[in-house]
Amino acid sequence: MKMMNPVYKRENMVSSRSVKLAMILLIFNGILALVALLNMYSTLAQVRVTAEIQYSSFLDLYVFVAVLEFVMLIVIMPALTAGSISGERERQTLDLMLTTDMTPAEIVVGKLMSSLSTMLLLIISSFPMIALVFVYGGVTLKDIGMLLMCYVAAAVFIGSLGTCCSALFRKTTVSTVVSYGLMVAVVIGTFGLNQFAYSLSQMHADSYLAAVGQTAEQGSSGGLIYLLLMNPTSTFLVTIMQLAGSGLVRLNGDVMSWFGDHRLNLLNGNWVSASIGVQLLLAAVFVAVAIRAVKPGRRHIV
Amino acid sequence: MLIIKELRKAYGKHHALNGLDMEIADSTLYGFVGPNGAGKTTTIKIMAGLLKPDSGSVEIDGQSVLHNPREMKRKIGYVPDTFGVYDNLKVSEYMEFFSSCYGLEGLKARKRNTTLLAQVGLGEKTDFYVDSLSRGMKQRLCLARAMIHDPQLLVMDEPTSGLDPRTRLEFRELVKDLQEQGKTILISSHQLSELSELCSHMGVIDQGKMVIQGSIEEITGTISTSKPLIITVVGKTERALQLLKKHRLVRTITVRDQDIMVNFAGDADGECELLAMLVEAGVAVRGFLREPGSLEAVFMQITNREKERVVLSYEDDESGL
Repeated sequence: MKMMNPVYKRENMVSSRSVKLAMILLIFNGILALVALLNMYSTLAQVRVTAEIQYSSFLDLYVFVAVLEFVMLIVIMPALTAGSISGERERQTLDLMLTTDMTPAEIVVGKLMSSLSTMLLLIISSFPMIALVFVYGGVTLKDIGMLLMCYVAAAVFIGSLGTCCSALFRKTTVSTVVSYGLMVAVVIGTFGLNQFAYSLSQMHADSYLAAVGQTAEQGSSGGLIYLLLMNPTSTFLVTIMQLAGSGLVRLNGDVMSWFGDHRLNLLNGNWVSASIGVQLLLAAVFVAVAIRAVKPGRRHIV
Repeated sequence: MLIIKELRKAYGKHHALNGLDMEIADSTLYGFVGPNGAGKTTTIKIMAGLLKPDSGSVEIDGQSVLHNPREMKRKIGYVPDTFGVYDNLKVSEYMEFFSSCYGLEGLKARKRNTTLLAQVGLGEKTDFYVDSLSRGMKQRLCLARAMIHDPQLLVMDEPTSGLDPRTRLEFRELVKDLQEQGKTILISSHQLSELSELCSHMGVIDQGKMVIQGSIEEITGTISTSKPLIITVVGKTERALQLLKKHRLVRTITVRDQDIMVNFAGDADGECELLAMLVEAGVAVRGFLREPGSLEAVFMQITNREKERVVLSYEDDESGL
């Protein structure tokens, strides 16, 4: 009987003794700490000169650290997962695992879990930086919990996407390129589509209103707004902006007003949980596809 | 132990296996020989459950590998033609990883791994990184890995390719030891000489079909009649060909330069009768020879498919000469 997933155990053992992980942790947290401390220094310097405390700058610090961490997460996650299965295939070790009692599901889940635990380690290690804002108040533990949930959902979603590509494609290079391509399509493409539809509808509305002699601005991206449910960036922005509307990010916490006025419905009030649900569901689909692709006898692309 | 029937597998338009039949008895060391691209690796991958055939059956102890893949994995140890090692693991960690893949953990796993590593001569290398091992050592490590779950059948795909002669010899000794311990072993190779000294049984595959299989003695016996008779006559070649064509034990007749090469299904007595028949008919026979058979010779004969001028086959003798 297997006590712990052997693949997860092996990956953790190898990464824990590698200098690479320690260096990533050091550099990432070093940058965050430097930015946070400089921000604090400038705020305190301002207090000395003006005798006014700008509490909003502490929230800006929180937003900045959270955004930086999110960007890092969506950039690093495909790199961590895109070579997970294809790397085993290139080393010819996948076949060896498939001749043991290991099932394709155990192999895929073990690989995904090890990438997620590396990501989680990075996120948790940076929380002291985020917690700096506790010194001044304004952010509760619940808010941090929500942010953590948002990160985990994004990591699971993008990690599953990378693992799926890795299982489908024979070569790591191809898998990495496709993973990043799909990630960009989801993260930027869905925003782009909404912006495009919104602009079109605005043009249409403007010409109509000009014809009838009115000037009120109307139009929206329509149903395309729901594409943003699968975009982890929308979840993150709503989470962070609901808490701390900031000049750093143009959008507010109400996703329904981003691309024109959309009708209120159940999603409006529950965007974060709904989008996390959609992303986890898609992640499950990606994992299922990966398991199917790893099964013996399947043909792979490139 | 292992019975393969009518196994077929195609990759697109290329037919890798064309109705392969194979039978391996318990505790035999079976050499699986064939030229590159003959279908050896495809057969082995199907046995190991890594490929699905288009049709046919593979049974171990009466149970289908294709229908009970999980149970069958317990009975087969697979050594691929590549090492398949993790360079960033130590020898002991590599073994522990694969032990845990079989659900073997803790003290039980450590004991088993220590025994296996000692058996393959890597007992002193447990703390070495796999990366630092020589090719021969890596191959032995792969063999130890394939035996973790104590399989009945060990399947090795060209295990000695790329090894130097000394390491090959050591590996062969290791394989012999395993057979003496009662393991059934299948080794594939495209080098017959390597297997002919090692194996008790052998199968020759070509173009996805088993051409010949059996014990080494049986195959050598077959070879002695499968080698063609080389008859050199002086003049009266047409008369000789007419006589040979009518003989019931003559299968094919091929003319190459000055020689008539006859596939003759008779034994030594039959050969004497054939010679007497030619001489009595007034054919001046200058040479009458059947070369002693060797495994190498039959392998070449089966797999080379030389471009000879076949002037007559028993089946289409209507063409006349």
